[in-house]
Order: sequence, then C-alpha cells, then structure tokens
Amino acid sequence: MAKPKKLAVNRRGFLKGAATAAAGAGAAALANGVPVAAAEAALQQRGGGAARQGDAPAPPPTPEQIQRDAGNVRPPSSTARAVIRPASDLMVQVLKDVGIEYVAANPGSSFEGLQESVINYGNPPNKMPEFITALHEESAVTMAHGYAKATGRPMCAMLHGTIGVQHGAMSIYQAYYDRTPVLLIAGLDKGFIPAHSARDMAGMVRSFTKWDAQPKTVEEALVALQRAYHEAVTPPMGPTLVVMDIDLQKEEARDVKVPAYKPPTITGVDSSTAREIATSLVAAQNPHINVGRLRTPEGVAQAVQLAELLGASTSSTATIGPMSFPQGHPLCGPGASTTYDYTLGLEMGGTVSLRGPDLKTILKTRDPYDIGFGGLAQGVRFGGPPATSENGARVIDVDAEASLAPIVEQVRMQMTPEKQRLAQERAAKHAEANHAARVAALRAAIDRAKEGWDASPISTARIYAELWPLIENEDWCFSSPSAFSGGHNAQLWLHNKPYSYLGGQGAGGMGYGAPASVGAGLAARARGRFVVNIQTDGDMNYAPGVLWTAQHHQLPVLTIMHNNRAWHQELMFVEYMCGVRGRGTDRGWIGTSLRDPFIDYKMMAAAYGMPGEGPISDPAMLSAALKRGVASVKKGQPYMIDVITQPR
Amino acid sequence: MKLNVTRLAIGVAAIALSATTLNAQQGPAAAGRGGRGGRGGPAPYYGSKEAPTSPVSGNAVNGKKLYYQYACYSCHGYTGETGARPFVNHWTANLANEASFMAFLRGRADAHPARPSTSMPNFAANTITDAQVKDIYAYIRTFKSHAPATTPPALAEILKSADKPYKR
Repeated sequence: MAKPKKLAVNRRGFLKGAATAAAGAGAAALANGVPVAAAEAALQQRGGGAARQGDAPAPPPTPEQIQRDAGNVRPPSSTARAVIRPASDLMVQVLKDVGIEYVAANPGSSFEGLQESVINYGNPPNKMPEFITALHEESAVTMAHGYAKATGRPMCAMLHGTIGVQHGAMSIYQAYYDRTPVLLIAGLDKGFIPAHSARDMAGMVRSFTKWDAQPKTVEEALVALQRAYHEAVTPPMGPTLVVMDIDLQKEEARDVKVPAYKPPTITGVDSSTAREIATSLVAAQNPHINVGRLRTPEGVAQAVQLAELLGASTSSTATIGPMSFPQGHPLCGPGASTTYDYTLGLEMGGTVSLRGPDLKTILKTRDPYDIGFGGLAQGVRFGGPPATSENGARVIDVDAEASLAPIVEQVRMQMTPEKQRLAQERAAKHAEANHAARVAALRAAIDRAKEGWDASPISTARIYAELWPLIENEDWCFSSPSAFSGGHNAQLWLHNKPYSYLGGQGAGGMGYGAPASVGAGLAARARGRFVVNIQTDGDMNYAPGVLWTAQHHQLPVLTIMHNNRAWHQELMFVEYMCGVRGRGTDRGWIGTSLRDPFIDYKMMAAAYGMPGEGPISDPAMLSAALKRGVASVKKGQPYMIDVITQPR
Repeated sequence: MKLNVTRLAIGVAAIALSATTLNAQQGPAAAGRGGRGGRGGPAPYYGSKEAPTSPVSGNAVNGKKLYYQYACYSCHGYTGETGARPFVNHWTANLANEASFMAFLRGRADAHPARPSTSMPNFAANTITDAQVKDIYAYIRTFKSHAPATTPPALAEILKSADKPYKR
C-alpha cells in the first residue's frame, strides 16, 4: 500500500468550494459523522436545496471541519468501503442475464449508481452491457429503437429524472407506436434536485409505454428489471420503464441473490389449429403466404422454411420494414399464378390470418386519461392492412412468429413424397415467374431512374442507384426512413435480410433517422455489418450530437445527406396554403427551409470528429465519394457525405 | 373557344395532379412508391416526350430566379425532371403554350383544404404577375433531359442483380 501523499490542493479552498454544492453537505457529513439530515436541513435553509452554484454563500466551517483542517484529525485507518456489494451491481447482473448488449444514456446523477456499475462491475467491466454515451435522451432512446428493429431484441436506455423522461418522451412514443421493445430505466433521486423528481415519474409516459414499475426494495428492483424485459419482448412488444430510486442503487445488497432468469414463452397457435392450417396448406394447389413484420430473425428463417417446404409463393414487407421474408428469394413474388386457393397471413391478411395481440388490448391499463392517441384508440386497427373479411377469412388472435414452429412441424409430418415433388415443381415455376416479374419491374424502375440522372443538384434515384453495386455483395442495413428521399430502395435494391430496411419512424416524428441509424450501427458493429443512412437534413438537426456517439464508439454508419435544404414536406404544405389564401406564394420558404445560411454537414461531422466530404452537387463525383464512404465503414469508421439533392 | 380547351386541359391536369400527394410523416406501413413483390409498381407514365414548340415571350434568366422564389422547384425539381411531377419527357397540355400555362396557374384549386396538401398551389394574379408567369414558362421551356443515352453501369448492375442466384 502506497504512503498517502501530501495533498497539494488548498484544503480550505477545496472545502469551501465543496460546501456550496449540495454534495458538499453529504461529503462533509460522512467525513465528520454529522447526520446527513442535518446537512440537508442546512441546505434547505439556504433555500431550495438546489445545487445552484454561486447562488448562496458557503456556510462557515463547523468545529469538526476546522479540527480536520488544522490536521488534528487523522484519516480513518481502515480502507473499508461503505458499500461492499452495491445493489446496482445486481441490477446490472440482471441486464447481463437477459442479454442486454448496450446501455445508452446521457449521464445523470439520478442513475450514478447504475452507471458506475455498468462501467466497473463484471469481468470484464463495461461489456454486455457497454455504456454508450448519448448527447441527448432522445438519441439514447431512439438508438435503442433502431437497434431493436435491426436485431429483434431490446437494449437499455437510461433517463435522468423528470427532465430525462421528458427529453426522451417522443422517442418512447415512437417506439411504442412501432411496437418495438426498449428497456428504459429512469433514475429517481428525491433528495437531490427537487425539480428532477416526481412521485410518479412513469406517469408522464404511461399512456405510451407497455409496462412500468417503481420498485421499493432491492429484491423488487431485480424482479422489476426482469419483468420489464419480459414485457418488452412479448407481443404486443413495446417500451417498458423501471423507475429506479438512487437509494436502491446505492444500497448494500448484502446476500440478496439475483433471481434466476427464465426467458419468456410466447405462445402461438395450439396444436389442433396448427394441424388444421398445415392440412389446408398441404392440400392447396397454389398456396401463398403473406409475410408481414415478424418479431425476430428466427421467425423470418422459419417463414422461409415453411415456404420452401410447400413451394408456396410469398409476399413480403421487406421493402417497407424489418423482419420480413427475403425479397430476393425465388419464392418471393406473385408466383406462377395469382389465383391462390389458400393464403396464410403472418401478421397480414389471408384466408387464415395470424395476428399478434394489438397495443389497444392493453389500453385500459395504460392510458390513464383515455387520451386515445390516434391510431391506438379503441376500434382503430393499427399495423398492416386490415384482415380480409371476404371468403370466410379467419383471423386468429395469436403471435404469427410463435405459430410457425408448430405449423412447420405439422407440414413436415403431412408432406408425402408425392406432395414434396409437387411442391418442388411449383417452386420452380414460381421462381421463373417471380424472376420475370422482377426483371419487368426493374426495367421500368431503371427507365424512371434515368430521368434527371446527370442533373445537378443530384437526383435521389442516382444516390440509391450508385450505392447498389457498392453494397450488394456486402452485409448492409439501411436504417433511415426512405420515403422523403424517394423510397428508391424499394424499386432498385434487394432486401434479403431481416434488417435490410428498418422502415419508418413509428409515429412519423422527425429526428428519428440519425439516432436510429446509430442504434443500428451498435447492432452492426458487433455483427460485422455496416449501416447505410440516407439522411434527411431536417431530421439531422434535432440532436446532431449523435454523430459524436457514432464516432466515439466507432460505429460503422455511412451517412449520406439527402440535403434538399428544407423541411421539404412542410415547404410544400405552406406553399399550398399561400395559394389557398391568395397571397405570398413566393414566401412559402419562410420557416420551412434551411437556407441563409446553408448548413455544411461535412463541417458538422468534422466538429464531432467524424471524417467526411462534401458538399457534392456534381453527380459525376458521387460514385467515388460513395466508394470512399463504404470503404471507411467497412473498416469500422463512420463517414459523412454531404450531397446536395433534388428536393424529392 | 380557346378558353374551353384550356379549361379541359386544366381539368385533366388537375385530376392527374390531385391524385398524387405525398403523405407527410410516413407511418411504418406507408411507402413512397410501390416495390417489387406485390406492393404496386412505379407511378404510371403520363404526358408526352415531345416538348412544346409554341412561341415563348418571357425572359428565361429572370424565370430561373422566379422558379426558385415561387418554390416551383420544390415539386418539379430544379431541372424539371424529378419529384412528384417532372416536366421533361412528361409534357402535358397545360404546358403547351403561355396561355394554357397562365390559365393553369390561375385556375388551380384554391379550395381550403381540410388536411395538409402537397397538391399544386394556386397562383393568383395578385401574388405573381402575368409577366412573371411568362418568365417562368420561358425558363421551363429551356429544360432538357439529363437522362443518359445509354444505361449507366450502376443501373445495368441493378438489372443484372435480378439474374444472380439468391444467397441466404
């Protein structure tokens, strides 16, 4: 043990400085045995108890402090720690047990116990979960949203008190609307800054979380975290929130055990229904499977298995969202004939449609003021086209993904060698027809993409087209909503992985694209992929600090600006309004555009330490820039390319 | 007589235009345009590849400034080739001559919309003068196609992708 060095710092000055901050009262109290309550009372006397530095003068030193200052008090001889087994270590152990890879947060004192455990507990520490530094709570939660869409599993985001929950609220709302699992922990410290705590902090977002809890003991806290995970990943999936008191985080856990974690069982159709569906599928001459958005990559693999067993043609939502049937699979498409005698709908319509529970099934317990957020209110079907109601169509209220295994098993049992032969014949015909359909669609799309090909500013189609040869043989994930940049991926690319395209914002809120892409980058880094983010400029500016997060954590995100220098949709709306009122049709750009000055996104990225280039408005320069970008992210280095584009 | 023809042109064009609006803030189920695999194809072709040849009396240089100022570029692209309603290769009756263009701008729907709309706005005379309209028309008439004569390598590669064997 090294001899304690003589402190160079002026201890009187240090104490004076420490005493103006609320923490000073606590530190001084611990050192001198003064009860914390007395120190708190002293703080209250100074007004508010808030850590308003420089606001109030430092109190005079107590006799105990003076004695210590004069060197009359020896430091305690034992180096015993106040807390041997902090409860937040156990909480982090729960996160490890349920497989949380990342905890994203903008630091906040109300979860300082948890943060210290994430970074220091475990062997090795700060891994599974790793602490991801967010510059805004909106970024932390939306990173979790994007990550979950790319992987089918949640990560954790921490929020500091009331203000953290408020900052994160839009992101929570979007994850809820998007039925995406996110594990949220909100720190609560009633004794510190009053404005940062509330009696029922979860109440602020209860209408758009799936489940929440505010545990009162360490044991309850561990169970609550497990339950929060469980609720997040069982359908209807959604964000869940645990309000974690700082005192619980800091408590000595003694011999409290982390309860064993049991993964949730998600039930699909019962065995007799599985048999019935399998029988119909096997008997059909031209079966078809409508595949919507499933929950995890395993579900996608099972859907492929089922289609291949039957030689069934399929439809997919892979061009508009994640976790669906691979678009390039030979069976994906209308097939040799569009007269299907039996259609199985997986979270889609069909002769029989398997649709997992809707969020509105939990509205009664979750919407305390009966707000009825649009699309989630009773009587409003959310997610996917409505179930067909003609031809005796049947909707079964059950999770489609969980139903696949029993159906596949039954189909296997019922397929005779003759049926297998027929299935293979069918598959070959479908493959040929789907290929022809694909080529025809591509030719039309290519003709369209040629329009404005060499124009400046650069056409949106050209960006997507030039990217394809650079990514088609790579493991890529397209993470940002593409509608505003023309949605050309749907027509020009092939979406063959569950994470090929992550779809929209959830509730249409802007400021989603950048952090969701960084969240997808978290998923990608661990899995050897890279992320392509065609980034709308309006969306980029809400919390651009997320670029720093990508750079700091070396996340393989290629950001290509769709820089049309406006919140373009709004520009068109306001322009129309000017016309309606018959005035100022040359002023619709006011309040809707990002001009005077133009924003330089290469410089923005550079400010956060991220390399990049641009602005590029000459289409002849585009491909080389994209090549540099792809090369960069393949090495794990995020990259920014500012491209000046046509508006749409 | 001429007016009736242009009214008809407006009517036809108006129907065509109002049919295509972009939804603001897409939800997870919405798509910009259809994709392959059964969700509908690209928008149907409209208009003519033949550019109009009627006389132009406006000033195209001034027209370029006005085309930007009046946000025409926002839906029709900076070069009239991109966005919801390109002109080049899609020349429609309302662009046939100065008079039809003028009547079209003045006659566009100005009904108060209940919901936000990205339909073509109305351009009343008190917001843009006849001379300014002619200048914009002159500028639009300078638009040329920037489509390549042959299929660029990137697009050719995309077509070839359809022939590649599916890789899991």
